[in-house]
Amino acid sequence: MQNRLRVLRAERQWSQAELGERLDVSRQAVNAIETRKYDPSLPLAFKIARLFGMSIEEIFNDGFDGDTNG
Amino acid sequence: MVSMEIQMADLPELETPEAEGNIGRSLAWITVAAIGMIFTAGAIVGVIAAATEDGQALSLKAFAIIGALVAIIGALIYAQWNLARRIRIGGGPMTTREKLNRNIMVGCGLLGAVIGATLVATDGSIPSDPQTMFSDSPLPLALAVLLAVFWGVIMPVIAWFWHTRAIDEQEANAYRDGGYYAAYGYLMGAPTWWFLWRGGLLPEPNGTLIFCLFAIIWTAVWFWKKYR
Repeated sequence: MQNRLRVLRAERQWSQAELGERLDVSRQAVNAIETRKYDPSLPLAFKIARLFGMSIEEIFNDGFDGDTNG
Repeated sequence: MVSMEIQMADLPELETPEAEGNIGRSLAWITVAAIGMIFTAGAIVGVIAAATEDGQALSLKAFAIIGALVAIIGALIYAQWNLARRIRIGGGPMTTREKLNRNIMVGCGLLGAVIGATLVATDGSIPSDPQTMFSDSPLPLALAVLLAVFWGVIMPVIAWFWHTRAIDEQEANAYRDGGYYAAYGYLMGAPTWWFLWRGGLLPEPNGTLIFCLFAIIWTAVWFWKKYR
C-alpha cells in the first residue's frame, strides 16, 4: 500500500525515532511502513492520521479508485 | 481522488530504504559474531584440553594458537561494538518500547547463558560431540526443579510482558508469521520423519532436535519479517 508517511515525516523534520516515539512503535515499524513492507493496522493508521491532522485516505492509498456505491 | 493520485504520483522514490531504521543486517552480523565467539571459545577450551592431556604444560605452539584465537575473539567483539554503534546512529535513538524490548532480550540472553553454563558445569565437561548439546543425562533434583520452574512459570510471565508491553504491532505480526511457519514445519516435518523412521530410512525422531528446529524456524522467520 502506498503512503506518504516519509514525506510527512520529512516535512516536520522528524527522525524515524521521533515518529516512532509519538506513535509508540519502534523505528523498525516506521521504516517498514515507509518502505511499504508492512501495512499498519486500522488503529495505528488512525493514530498516524490524527498525528498529522489528516484523514487516513490522505496518507494511505491502496490503489483502488473504483466507485463502491454501484 | 484526482488530487490524491497526484499526491501519490509526486511521491519521491525511496532513496535508501535501509539508511534509516532498518537494523536487520547489523543485528544479523552481531548474531553471527556472537556465534563465532562461542565456537572460538570452544576451540580455545579444546586446544587447552588437548595440549594438557598428558599433564604437560602448554607448549609455545599451543600458546600461539590460543593467542590467535583470543585475537579472533577480540576482533569479533570489536566488530560487534562497531555494528552496535552503527545501529545507534541509524534512525536516531531507540524509542521507549525498543529500549524495553532490548532490555528484556538482553536479560533473557544472560539467563540463557547462565542456564547453559550451569548445564555444562553439571555435566562436568565441555561437550565435544554436538549430540551431547542435547544431553538427556540425569540432573540433580534441585537443579531440575529450578530450571523447570524458570521455564514453565517465569518464562510465560516474561513472554506475556514482552508481548503486551515491549513489542509493537509490526513485530507481533512478524512473530505471528514465524509461528505459522514453525507450526506448519512441525505438522509436516515431524510425521514425515516418523514415517521415514518406521520405513527404516531415518533414525528414531529426536524430540529435542525437533524442538530446536521449531524454535529456529520461528526465530528465522520472525527475524526476516521484522528486519527485511
